[in-house]
Amino acid sequence: MEVTPETVAAAVSSVSSARGKGTLPNVMAFARALKELGVKVSLSQVLDASRSVEHVELAEKADFRMLLRANMISQKEDFPAFDMLFDCFWRELSYERVPMETMRIEGTPTESQAPEGGDEEGGLEEAFAETLAKENLQLENLEEFSVPTYSPQELMNRKDFSEMGVEESRAIARAILLIATKIATQISRRKKLGRKGNTVDPRWTMRRSMKYGGEIVDLVHRKKRIKKTKVVLLCDVSGSMDCYSRFLIQFMYGLQNELWGVETFVFSTSLSRITHLIRTKDIVNALEKISGSILGWSGGTNIGRSLHTFNRNFAPSMVTHRTVVVIISDGWDRGDVSVLEREMQDLKRRCKKIIWLNPLLASENYEPLCKGMQAALPYLDLFLSVHNVNSLVALGRTLQKMVA
Amino acid sequence: MNPNQLTIESVQEILLREKYVCDRALATVVYLSLVMGKPLLLEGEAGVGKTEIAKVLAKVLETKLIRLQCYEGLDANTALYEWNYPKQMLRIKLEEVEHGDKQQVETEIFSQDYLIKRPLLEAIQSNGANAPVLLIDEIDRADMEFEAFLLEVLSDFQITIPELGTIAAKHRPLVFLTSNRTREIHDALKRRCLYHWIEYPSFEKEYEIITTKFPEVEGKMAQQICAFMQKVREMNFYKRPGVAETLDWASALIALNRKNLDDKTVIETMGCVFKYREDLHHLREQVDGRQLNLDALLKMSPEMVS
Repeated sequence: MEVTPETVAAAVSSVSSARGKGTLPNVMAFARALKELGVKVSLSQVLDASRSVEHVELAEKADFRMLLRANMISQKEDFPAFDMLFDCFWRELSYERVPMETMRIEGTPTESQAPEGGDEEGGLEEAFAETLAKENLQLENLEEFSVPTYSPQELMNRKDFSEMGVEESRAIARAILLIATKIATQISRRKKLGRKGNTVDPRWTMRRSMKYGGEIVDLVHRKKRIKKTKVVLLCDVSGSMDCYSRFLIQFMYGLQNELWGVETFVFSTSLSRITHLIRTKDIVNALEKISGSILGWSGGTNIGRSLHTFNRNFAPSMVTHRTVVVIISDGWDRGDVSVLEREMQDLKRRCKKIIWLNPLLASENYEPLCKGMQAALPYLDLFLSVHNVNSLVALGRTLQKMVA
Repeated sequence: MNPNQLTIESVQEILLREKYVCDRALATVVYLSLVMGKPLLLEGEAGVGKTEIAKVLAKVLETKLIRLQCYEGLDANTALYEWNYPKQMLRIKLEEVEHGDKQQVETEIFSQDYLIKRPLLEAIQSNGANAPVLLIDEIDRADMEFEAFLLEVLSDFQITIPELGTIAAKHRPLVFLTSNRTREIHDALKRRCLYHWIEYPSFEKEYEIITTKFPEVEGKMAQQICAFMQKVREMNFYKRPGVAETLDWASALIALNRKNLDDKTVIETMGCVFKYREDLHHLREQVDGRQLNLDALLKMSPEMVS
């Protein structure tokens, strides 16, 4: 969900009814507003946050901010949303005017919060749990839809994927799932004990030898675990790829849901990470979300710039020497070719293999003549076609070999 | 030092005494982690001082630092405990010759004497006066399975060894986790932790760090170093230099007896800052092509000096 002053204000006003006097209801309302903005906050985190309130001087707003942030946020990408909400939320409350005593957790809880009699700590937690459980229910019903932002440079289109031919898409989905499952089982096999293998497992050798009175009869070996290779998908969704994009989204979806450690991106003139959007098992929903939130779908292409964004912001954390990077694009690039070349070189150094899938490769008289494709060619380990289900099966086999 | 007597200011102060400059935000989080007994997950670019803070804290709290360096394939045996197999085998052989009591041998070879303590067990069994600092470094390098295992240990700070029984921690260790984000940490683990992202330092903070660590560096050169570092961090390098590089560079310049930075010195000593051939090459290009004007950068505008 896009975090703008408007959405922040909306989130604050939507929880205003839950706010009351004292820290507790306010911290909870704050957590709820965070959830509205799409930030994951768990019950235990909220509990810890309100417990830790006693440790800092609440008059110090900066400290209070850090307290809430350290407890509730667990990735830096959520910092901007948190900061905007914090400013908006606690300003509205007029933070300084709330009396200190009511801000403290050990102060008397408001009537609605305090269960009669009973131990205060436990009662507090129960009250918390109840309220939050209720809130969770409400939130689940309130399905969120992202609002796309508008940019004049990029040709914006909301693609309706439900128009996809039913039979066709089902066949593809089946094929993809099959391939993806194969790949997944191939590479997630765990380290096993066995008689053959290249390292001796002393723990088990010793254990087994006990029955022979400590005499080593069987050597227990440890088989090398087949490493789970990460796969990063970079998919071109620009105008020239239009007739393939439905097909590709299916592919990305299928692969990601069957494999551990797949990251998915789409790019046209800019790059967007959609891993979290297609994490769901529900394809229809996932497609709606993607078409709703991707900027520049069917717009122009700037592969170089998109790769640059990827290399700079994502590659350091996602690409290792075990990662296979799959780029799906026709190579029609309107950006600077030298940038593309440099970024390909950079990417090549970071990862294990680069596979380029080009849907045009299948046509008989296709030659990779466009400048973008030519610049990228020297850095590719594999250059394959993806134009139909068969080519995907072939790709599945190749990936299988590569990561095994 | 008793964590309960700490305040945010005193955390900042004792860290500074050990020459660790930290801003109030970081101090607040560290303080909270100490008083709440909650693990602290620190993320940030390489070389911003994630590991260092745990080391320094162990020092100022006068307690033991137990470090677990994570790597791919790290398993419970290497992180928790392992039986000393050779010793066990020798003992068995010995008893065979002397015809000892088999039952007794078995209980003996599975006793504490034959146990090799790995970092996590060491942290839990630590019997010093203060709670030890447990540093789990680069957790992102370990496998997902290890993370799940860690989750279990961090939630109750007790370990069950089948042959010995359950061992519970006397002091809850102060736990610091660091991550370079080569992959995402699982949500469940994150939820157990306080979280903080350490940014590259600002000009002022970096200046403070240099002058604290190396009082002998002249103010002007420290400013030049900072200005240069701030500038190159904005530029597009494969590996952007962190504070560790800044300090390396500063100490190199001290060793070379430089009092002032000029463009020649910068180029000569760039090996301290950039560790990749491509980055060095890129810097050269930028300097030669005048995209990066070293002269102007090193001379600095008057407001920077103030």
